[in-house]
Amino acid sequence: MVLTGAVREKWEIGHSRRWVLGTASAVGAAALTGCGLLDDDEPEPPKAPDPLEPLLAEALALATAYDQAVVSQPGLRTRLAPLAEDHRTHAAEMSRLIGRPLASAPVASASAGPATTVAALRQAEQAAQKTAVAACKVAAPDRAGLVGSIAASRATHAEALR
Amino acid sequence: MNEQLGAALAGEEAAIYAYGVIGVHLDSDGDVAEARAAEQAHRQKRDYLVGRLSQLKASAAPSPAGYELPYEVTDRATALKLAIQVEDGVAQGWRPVLPVTEGAERATALAAMTEAAVRATRWRRLAEVAPATMPWPGRPD
Repeated sequence: MVLTGAVREKWEIGHSRRWVLGTASAVGAAALTGCGLLDDDEPEPPKAPDPLEPLLAEALALATAYDQAVVSQPGLRTRLAPLAEDHRTHAAEMSRLIGRPLASAPVASASAGPATTVAALRQAEQAAQKTAVAACKVAAPDRAGLVGSIAASRATHAEALR
Repeated sequence: MNEQLGAALAGEEAAIYAYGVIGVHLDSDGDVAEARAAEQAHRQKRDYLVGRLSQLKASAAPSPAGYELPYEVTDRATALKLAIQVEDGVAQGWRPVLPVTEGAERATALAAMTEAAVRATRWRRLAEVAPATMPWPGRPD
């Protein structure tokens, strides 16, 4: 564990400074992982996908679904545009935490699909809320608030579409 | 964790007080039913928090006998405005509980935060405030 300092720097690549400095426990976990890597003297294995990835994909898919709905029903713009904007705000924050620019994020179009009626959008929000609730339950402490707010925001979207 | 639970409790108690004032200025059945349900929900959360703090052998600060409202509530418009503010405040009270809890306890805190955020959205719709949602419920402004 004397290697913690060096390892921390290595771990920081791809993560925002705030995320790394945010919690002692996250740094501790990083240090443990790092010790293993240095001991093995092998090339770094591919990083496991960030647990935020599914939430990010969902946020982008929902934003796209709202865009599609507004294109086919322009009268809904006032009602739907702010919801799409919330999802984009979530996506931007998550991609920042994941450490990957939004442009290269895979856009999950399959789940967005033909969700262009308000009822379908509401269903999609409810499903997305469930994903976020499950993610919040197992999130690291420094991300619990963020993921929790995303879950709550999705719930308010479902309410706004009632 | 006691500190965060204590702050959530303070938010719930303030909400219970505020709904007493809010209710007086609502007259449509829909508004009144909504306010009653909200107050009931806040009482349940308060009881949960008092019980939890007692389990943890932590003493919560006694709730103040009265609150100074941020503005005078004189009619439906100011009552709805206060209801929105109160629910936003309750959500903000619960959010810091998330990082210091886990499992079922975190789920309970998230449910409380989410319910407050959903009620805030419902009040915004009733008050015709747009947008009715926000990206980060529970995050202080």
